[in-house]
Amino acid sequence: MSSDEQTRIISRRDLLRGVGVAAVAAVAPSTSVALDGAIAPAGAAEAVQPAATSAVRREAYENLTAVEADALEAIVAQLIPTDANGPGATEARAVHYIDRALGGALSSSRQAYSAGFAAFDRYCRMTRGASFVELSTTDQDSVLIDVESGSATGSGAGFSGSSAQFFGMVLNHTRQGTFGDPYYGGNANYVGWDLIGYPGVRTSVSAADQQLMEKGALKPNHRSAYDNEMFNKATAGNGHGEHQHGD
Amino acid sequence: MVYRTVLAAVVAMAFVGADAAWAQAPAHKILVESPTMKAGETMAKEYTPDGRNISPPMTWSNLPQGTRQIAVVCEDFDAGNPPPWVHWIIYKIPPTATGLPANLPIDTAAPMPSEIAGAVHGYNGWRRPMYRGPAPPAGKPHLYHFVVYALDAALDLPPRLTRAELHDAMKGHIIGQGEMVPTYQRN
Repeated sequence: MSSDEQTRIISRRDLLRGVGVAAVAAVAPSTSVALDGAIAPAGAAEAVQPAATSAVRREAYENLTAVEADALEAIVAQLIPTDANGPGATEARAVHYIDRALGGALSSSRQAYSAGFAAFDRYCRMTRGASFVELSTTDQDSVLIDVESGSATGSGAGFSGSSAQFFGMVLNHTRQGTFGDPYYGGNANYVGWDLIGYPGVRTSVSAADQQLMEKGALKPNHRSAYDNEMFNKATAGNGHGEHQHGD
Repeated sequence: MVYRTVLAAVVAMAFVGADAAWAQAPAHKILVESPTMKAGETMAKEYTPDGRNISPPMTWSNLPQGTRQIAVVCEDFDAGNPPPWVHWIIYKIPPTATGLPANLPIDTAAPMPSEIAGAVHGYNGWRRPMYRGPAPPAGKPHLYHFVVYALDAALDLPPRLTRAELHDAMKGHIIGQGEMVPTYQRN
């Protein structure tokens, strides 16, 4: 990829660098597999199973409004796009993850989503004359850059604090929904793990597996960490003594 | 008092030195204009994040003889730590160009318009290789310096240079310079 080809809103490479194995490790409890963070996405696309095509039928959302969900679907498709590297956040069902988590572990962010999306929609209409989903890809990129950089903050759209905070929150949750354990409702069909070449949680690793792992050739097991009895589930409850996964 | 005087002199010399290193202050003045902006007047929202945030059209004339390449920088000396805050860097503009059309691509994979084929973007203050317009905090108007440089060599520069890197590369090659300075303010 030439240097001129790599810029997107947040380039896929930046996202993978930011997420890497660390994010996977964060949601995948202790494993004896030595992950060195150098897993390359190369070849991952070929390993990815054909994901379900983007939702044509509207999903029944539990917490997001239809307008919020539509905008969020369009945003995550820009943040981690479906491209030559393989499926992205859409196929991973990152929005499904966020929607469910807003009723549980991410419930403290619900108000930030409501206020943030209201301001985001105002910003799109004020500056580009249409809702986000109605904009061209270029204008969507442009909007997200302005929101990410904080330039949208003083526009009068009504972002609470910096628009960059809203962007950061959505990006963080998109990463969780794409690369987290499928148990939580995202990373559908393991497309996120396949994208970064993460072979899955293992409770034991043979020397041969280790060698394959180091070559990036270990076949993914496509299993949730919680398919193993030894791991405790981080529930999507709202506190009250339950484990929570991070925001 | 003596200490203050000496300090002031040192500070002044430092600024003079820095200015000289950057600008070279060539004698030849390029006339810089825009069909949609005027010096000293407020920029249209279209060129800011309060609008579509597209790059404005620019024109220039009176390039010095021997111009082999052109570079354009937009910077705000009222912002940045240290100033200036850079909004736009574009260079490797062919000497045949008489300006920049509006709405240059923000997707670096997209080709530049034919009249500036070969031009590339450097990094602005947000570390983005594209134009991003004024977004000053509410208060006083800020001044946006659209500076055009004429160079005596076709420098073979990679994309995504920072302002400092571009100035280093241009050092000794600037044979003409000009600017126009519109303003922008948020309430």
